[in-house]
Amino acid sequence: MDTTPTPGRGAAAAARAALPLDRGTLVRVVAIVVFLAIALVFLPTIGSDWTTTFTSVAIYSVITLGLGILYGRVGLISLGQVALLVVGVWTGTRLNYALDLPFPILLFVTGAITCVVGVLIGLPALRLSGLHLALITLMAAGAVNVVLVAINFPNGGGGFTGRTDTPDLSGLEPVRRPSIAEGDTAYYRYVVIVAAVMFLVALLHVRGKPGRAWAAIRESEPAALAAGVNIVFYKLWAFALASFMAGVAGCLLAAQVGQPTAQSFQTQDSLTLLAVTLIGGIYSLWGAVVAGCFSQLLPFLFQVQWGINPNFVLILFGAGLLQVLLTAPGGLAQQFPKDMANLGRLVWRGLGKVTGGGAPST
Amino acid sequence: MIEVERLTVRFSGVTPIDGMSVTFPGGTCGLIGPNGAGKTTFFNVLSGFVKPASGSIRAFGEDLLKMADYRRARWGLRRTFQTEQAIEQLSVFDNVAMIYEHSGVKGAGRRSEVEAAIEFVGLETPPRRSVGGLGARERRLVEVARAVVGRPRVVLLDEPAAGLPEEETEHLSSVIKAIPERFGALVVLVDHDMSLVQACCETTAVLDFGKLIASGPTAEVLRDELVIRAYLGTEEVL
Amino acid sequence: MDSVVAFAVFGVDWEFIKPYIVLGLALGGVYALSGVGIVVLYQATGVLNLAFGAIGAAGALIAYWMINHTSWPHWLAYVTCVAFGGVVNLAYGLLFGPAFAARDPLVKMMGTLGLALILLGLMAWRAPVGGAFARFLPLPSSSHTFTLFGAFVNWTQVIALAFAVGLTLWTTLFLKYTNLGTAYRAIANDREITATLGVPVRRVEASAWFGSGLVAGAAGLLLPDLITSLDYAALTFLVIAALAAALIGRLTSLWATLLGGLAVGLAQAIFAPYESITRYRSAAPFVLAILALLWLSRHRVVTITRTAR
Repeated sequence: MDTTPTPGRGAAAAARAALPLDRGTLVRVVAIVVFLAIALVFLPTIGSDWTTTFTSVAIYSVITLGLGILYGRVGLISLGQVALLVVGVWTGTRLNYALDLPFPILLFVTGAITCVVGVLIGLPALRLSGLHLALITLMAAGAVNVVLVAINFPNGGGGFTGRTDTPDLSGLEPVRRPSIAEGDTAYYRYVVIVAAVMFLVALLHVRGKPGRAWAAIRESEPAALAAGVNIVFYKLWAFALASFMAGVAGCLLAAQVGQPTAQSFQTQDSLTLLAVTLIGGIYSLWGAVVAGCFSQLLPFLFQVQWGINPNFVLILFGAGLLQVLLTAPGGLAQQFPKDMANLGRLVWRGLGKVTGGGAPST
Repeated sequence: MIEVERLTVRFSGVTPIDGMSVTFPGGTCGLIGPNGAGKTTFFNVLSGFVKPASGSIRAFGEDLLKMADYRRARWGLRRTFQTEQAIEQLSVFDNVAMIYEHSGVKGAGRRSEVEAAIEFVGLETPPRRSVGGLGARERRLVEVARAVVGRPRVVLLDEPAAGLPEEETEHLSSVIKAIPERFGALVVLVDHDMSLVQACCETTAVLDFGKLIASGPTAEVLRDELVIRAYLGTEEVL
Repeated sequence: MDSVVAFAVFGVDWEFIKPYIVLGLALGGVYALSGVGIVVLYQATGVLNLAFGAIGAAGALIAYWMINHTSWPHWLAYVTCVAFGGVVNLAYGLLFGPAFAARDPLVKMMGTLGLALILLGLMAWRAPVGGAFARFLPLPSSSHTFTLFGAFVNWTQVIALAFAVGLTLWTTLFLKYTNLGTAYRAIANDREITATLGVPVRRVEASAWFGSGLVAGAAGLLLPDLITSLDYAALTFLVIAALAAALIGRLTSLWATLLGGLAVGLAQAIFAPYESITRYRSAAPFVLAILALLWLSRHRVVTITRTAR
């Protein structure tokens, strides 16, 4: 390569690259539009149990989005994200019964409260090394689970816990959904749009000043410090963002199930959530969509569609986690396009051979 | 101008910097010495990673030691590290922009200043390319661009030429030499490559076992008998 | 809360609390010996084994199947349970240990999360839970009891506590006075340098995987008898109480781990009879672990190394 600096050429290259809409960006925008169109128009037409499942997929992709940012961008592991989801579900349910707020405001307030809880856990924990941070979140998740089992979710009763233990539950209303989206299909579309907004928030973060600061921290803390990055602040910000997303997802989940129960959340779920997040891919936001599908769609396919024991999914998650850690750190979101490209090349070459060797070899 | 007075750093039982007093007047200043002489420790004191046991450092009239570590970048202190610190996942532009964003410079000139820094170091790769795909020389240049963006006052370069072949070092030295004039910053250069130090630095200070053993115009310092004996061990200077 | 205050300040009805102390010490013994198994493996290989509980649980289920569905002697089932732990842990260590060797401790830990999920999936798949499927794995030792200071004590409880103390003592002596023990300590200090000194690092690590796995199997055998049910989910999350013990020992000190394990067990059992807090007592391991972690973090450490990849 030529080493003498030629200012004219450098400037031209800079101008070309700085154009906002290059080919890659265009492809991405088209892909997002097509994806959203399929999600909003085609998917709800398959069937009602599919719609419920896809609602869960969208909700869980919001949690894995936060978790993926935390690990992929900042290098922090939280083993307690399901606990924050539980806080979100609980807060959302409680506020839902207590106040008559419009649903979007309810989502935001739930997210904000969960965010405060997450930050309170994160603040002392961020002084710890990565391993210890992961462990303290696991312990916090366990503690939250114990408290949850003790007080359970609000069901429309009074007091702080908002729970009544009367055996007659007939008079109790389920958690209310937004007035414009009370049916399952409408609610599904509502959730997809909220999820899309969350992905946009994540994209703005990752592409913006926080994303660059996170990348600096992840690369090297001393170098980030020398560059003037307030490390604790930006780590806490990532924690707050992931917690906010868990809270929003929790509120969405509360309105989806109507009557949340403590039995449906287990410490084990925090572990599977982390596994699917890694399998989906933590360096691309698409990874969160894949992770949402893995955690909600796959068990549904196994159990309802194919009649296979859904616990088999856990084995897949475990094996997938090991494989991602060892050979494909980018997860499926990065691996899948690569594999498809390889497959395409293979097919192309095979076709070339069959038709007499006219295909170009790459 | 950086004035260091009787600076002492102690770790348990070791004294990597021992009563060092030196003045870096301006322009590009060399700081040389054998391995373990305390050069990087001195940089770490300037960055705020290491708290000295005693002594003072005044940079352009301000007490540097009183400043919180992450505020020093905002004040105008930049540094590169011996190990590579360009961020692989980010593009060249974002790598430099990231430093600019924390430099404390306010205003709308972000893009032009970042692009000016990239152009200054003579990087020809498209700024949107990710650093992960760049070679060693280009990564070094990205690091230098990171060090000069956002109106620096003091630029610390820790072995910027380590591992680069000779012809690429030449380009680097022309870039380093141009920093003080173009950005008005004081450059302190640590390197083992004497030809680089000679080519870039008007003045040079020599450390050995944490003590200053010589300082002054580079050519004179490199002729100093004490320096030759302490640092180079043999008579072979260049 | 009144009763807790009464307990702390004035002392309580000893007759009332005695059986819970016995139970707490026995449970604490299992937590402590698991903690010791985790610490030794962490020191030798840098792996914090999150699959520790799942391995014991799987061993226990196999022993349960052998006892209830075959005519083989019971002792063979017990031996199989312990050996299963050693073999599975060793197999994981041999298969994945080298691949993870150069990685960050966080990544190493997540690898064992993969193993835990695989085992959990296998157990949930082959041995579903539910009211009708309640399982028990009683040991012959629990049918023999005696009275100590007026409290009933069974031999499983004695074994659990004695095993914990004995294991801690034996491991301490082993690390101090044998060649293999010296190799352990050298590897814990610096793996690369130790390897260049000619110590067979792989073999030493393999012994740690195997030994730690045997302890996991033994814990999986003891715990179902102490809590009188074989619930693999509960057994899998034994690892959390064990981790709490290990963290109280700062992942280095075996004796502090022993005391930590006993403290967690006692805290869990003693509060059982008090109406106001009994529902929260299972949070004891978490709370103690969090306190230990926060205590560890009181000095801020600037990490000069790269973050996890």
